[in-house]
Amino acid sequence: MIRVISDEAYKELEAAVGPDNVSRLPVVLDSYAFQPFENHESMPWCPSPVAVALPSTTEEVSEVIKACNRHGLKHKAFSTGWGMWCGPTTDNVVQIDLRRMNQIVEIDEKNQFAIVEPYVCGAQLQAEAMKVGLNTHIIGAGPNTSPLASATSMYGVGHDGIYMSYSARNVLGLEWVQPTGEVLRLGSPGSDKGWFSGDGPGPSLRGTMRGYTGALGGMGVFTKVALKLFNWPGPPQVKSSGTVVDLTSEIPENIGLYMCFFPNADKLADAYYDIGEAEIGYNSLKVATPAFMMVLAPHLFKKLKDTKNLSRMLGKTMGHLFLMLLAGTSKEDLAHQERVLEAIVDEHDGFILDQKNIPPLKSNFMMNFIRATLPALVFRIGGSFSTALGRNDSLDSQVTWGEAIADIKRGYASKGQIIDDMGDNPYFVPYESNMFAHCEVVYPYDHRNPRYLEGSNNITMDFIIGAVELCMEAGFGTLPPARKILSPLTSNYNYWQKKFSEAFDPDQGSDKGLYTDETEFDFSEIAPERVAKLERLVKERTWTELGPPE
Amino acid sequence: MSHKTVDLDGFKQVVGPDNVSTQESELESFRSAGMASRGSPVAIVKPTEMSELRDIIILARQTGANLVFSSSAPPRFRGDSIPSEDGVIVDLSGMDEITRLDRRNKVAYIEPGVTFSHLIEAADKVGLKVLMPLLPRAGKSVLACFLEREPITIPKYHWDMTDPLLCTEMVFGTGDLFRTGTAGSPGTIEQQIDAGLAHKNPLGPGTTDFLRIVQGSQGTLAGVTWATIKLEVKPSVHKIYFVPDIKLERLIEFTYRALRPRLGDEWLILNSRALATLIGETSAAVEELAGRQAPWTLVYGVSGYRYLPEERMALQEKDLGKIAQAAGVVPVSEVPGCPAKKMERILASPSPEPYYKTVPKGAFTDIFFLATLDEVSTLIAVMEKACEHHGYPTSELGAYIQPIQQGRTAHVEFALSYDPADEAESKKVAELADSASRALDAAGAFFSRPYGAWSDIAYRNCPDTVEALKKVKRVMDPDNVLNRGKLCYGEEVV
Repeated sequence: MIRVISDEAYKELEAAVGPDNVSRLPVVLDSYAFQPFENHESMPWCPSPVAVALPSTTEEVSEVIKACNRHGLKHKAFSTGWGMWCGPTTDNVVQIDLRRMNQIVEIDEKNQFAIVEPYVCGAQLQAEAMKVGLNTHIIGAGPNTSPLASATSMYGVGHDGIYMSYSARNVLGLEWVQPTGEVLRLGSPGSDKGWFSGDGPGPSLRGTMRGYTGALGGMGVFTKVALKLFNWPGPPQVKSSGTVVDLTSEIPENIGLYMCFFPNADKLADAYYDIGEAEIGYNSLKVATPAFMMVLAPHLFKKLKDTKNLSRMLGKTMGHLFLMLLAGTSKEDLAHQERVLEAIVDEHDGFILDQKNIPPLKSNFMMNFIRATLPALVFRIGGSFSTALGRNDSLDSQVTWGEAIADIKRGYASKGQIIDDMGDNPYFVPYESNMFAHCEVVYPYDHRNPRYLEGSNNITMDFIIGAVELCMEAGFGTLPPARKILSPLTSNYNYWQKKFSEAFDPDQGSDKGLYTDETEFDFSEIAPERVAKLERLVKERTWTELGPPE
Repeated sequence: MSHKTVDLDGFKQVVGPDNVSTQESELESFRSAGMASRGSPVAIVKPTEMSELRDIIILARQTGANLVFSSSAPPRFRGDSIPSEDGVIVDLSGMDEITRLDRRNKVAYIEPGVTFSHLIEAADKVGLKVLMPLLPRAGKSVLACFLEREPITIPKYHWDMTDPLLCTEMVFGTGDLFRTGTAGSPGTIEQQIDAGLAHKNPLGPGTTDFLRIVQGSQGTLAGVTWATIKLEVKPSVHKIYFVPDIKLERLIEFTYRALRPRLGDEWLILNSRALATLIGETSAAVEELAGRQAPWTLVYGVSGYRYLPEERMALQEKDLGKIAQAAGVVPVSEVPGCPAKKMERILASPSPEPYYKTVPKGAFTDIFFLATLDEVSTLIAVMEKACEHHGYPTSELGAYIQPIQQGRTAHVEFALSYDPADEAESKKVAELADSASRALDAAGAFFSRPYGAWSDIAYRNCPDTVEALKKVKRVMDPDNVLNRGKLCYGEEVV
């Protein structure tokens, strides 16, 4: 289908942002249609937008949205991009590319927050924050991503969560161009009182803005956010050279990095619980040992996985591991935290590999870990990957989820539909001194491999079944077919989202594909017994007018 | 709605005749609270389970009744449970069970009628502690307290404004049931627990966060029938320190430096009057103790937990000692009339009876709002100027500063004591409270919890917010049956 924008509408976009900052050239538009990660239809391309506009101010964003609404066009925000979530999900969408809104408006050192625009990336904010002894939460997707996008519109998990929480919980004041084009400031900035609070007066409108996930572009555009910053006990600038895999950094004396191995998942979880109660830890991530090989040395990894004993050692014997970065107020404080960590790991039959005993590794890992640089290297082995997202809750629930998904993965890996990564390969993160936790199970694949495409619906279905069996609202419920299945089992949340969508977006101008849209799941290639299993679970767990099943 | 139009028979059918009351002795406590007065409660309906609450709301939608939720025992001070027009009080205090207490995940499942005393006792038995607001009323509902964003005294555990509230079950003004956070996940609560969930994630489900919306809504959007509450581990060693000083700015500097690396546990600042009110047991004792305190006193706690507790505490004491020195302040272990152990008990308990703020003169009016710590001194000056203007002695002004959100923001609370039998003084304090609130608002105070007259002050600043809240109200309470007349919705939402 050829999609075009009318001359009249295009002229209004030009008037809104200037002729140099809007385009409808196919070559430009198609560049927005490829996103490196995921797609709602398991294809590498999103629908192309009909035009792209690059506003530089909130007022321009507002004008673009109003122009779209006048001409029956939808709009979809794009900040730093990464996956299909930022692209159009349907036709007649104007892509609002926010890359010109790239300012750190303010860092309030005393009150530990920064006001940022959409195209500020994590690395940029972190570098500036560290200069004043502060740090920012960076999501696992990496420092190239927009903290505003993860806080307002996306998910928000990162392995600094033990100390720096989850993006949704780090929002203070907020500026939001609603789907009508009207500008709304949430919390204290809405009353012109500064940006220190996002809640009130009275009910918090932050709850309409996002929940577990953001609206993924389905509820207007967020143009400024005040984000919490956190203590950084290291130097204003960490002396480093090289990049990513050949990075070396000078390690501050009050920061340590430890690999903690356990004989099984239960022992690991017990240790994590105790670490939370001891209130130590600056960054932490449970990850599979083979994952290091896979992201750092994919060619070597492919050879290793064909070895019997070595792969077993890496995947099984060393399979239960978390990384822990400790940051003390002083060298003495670090030593105390180390002793606490040692006592806990020892009590749960584990052992610690202190990276200070492997200087090259520590020198490389520290800033890569703090800056969340390494996870994106998972693209290297197959060209793409996906994850099975559960629902963040207790540590125990995430261990259970990780194990269940690992079982499902093995079946697909053995059939060559996904890449065998020799382990459960979780991205498992504790939040807020282990108050709750997150586990998504990564599975790399080659999206050019037809066998993957053949299996993709099956694997998604197995994850949905797994989630429902484990009483989880699956994180991939943002996909329209999954939403249609899961919402009736999950407080009918999409019924209410649609109500809010209608209230705040009467013309339905925002692209709702990943917010409220529901589509039928394609069951045609799903084995009948799995369809029957899903039907049984849905029947058991669907909410009725009277509420949940009892 | 007049008394005659309330469908008492309908309510009796829902909850049983014994659970509907029109006795004046019971209605009386819903007629006035603090600055709120002239409430018109016409009946009290006492549901004992969620389904009854749902049927009450459905009945109200049919009859146009105005439902006002209450779950705490009197006396009442804020006014959110005082009907602003004829109202049916939905008293949830009888739903008072702690249905589950999970030591491993440090979480309690509580109904609306659970009080702090009740929860403290239960948590203590399993080595956990309740995250306390400062001396809550003995009969105060834990759930209601945190639904109203009452601040806790340990800033490091206050990660976000919803804390320590986690998941909830609620009935919207439409009569629909909803569960928030991971409680909204597939399956029954029991199945969820069997699957390992502990209902510790307050977000969602999906892309909307109803807990956040309902919190601070003064019962205008939904009734909450149970919630999970985050608890924390009880320290194995714990010590309280005081930092008296004549200059608030020094204490604020100390606070900034200490809270950034999350040193300390309890952390609050009181002026001499507020401290004396906290520790004095009689009116005379409060007067005498206030005169013996430094103008300002910061109170903080340090703790050690299961692993190397003494070592942890020693390190914290050392770090805080250095920071105190840099800020030019001196921590001590006692202030006049209050050794550390006494303050430790105060911070871990509900208020004795009568409620501690009524001790000095019999009644009080609070003014509270949010601000950043670096703005607090300015706002205190505004408050003191207002006191002087109205002839209220600043020596009798209580001031309490509670850092929240790990020190990024502060809850600032002023208390104006007065003798309720003295009409002239009562009137003077009411006028002072009103004009001081307006002056504070003009000076930057953010009235994030706008009770009573503050709703006019707070919402005139943010018309866009008001419009958005009306949209929310239309979705969640389309017939305007919940606490009509409160906040900002006006009549046109109906």
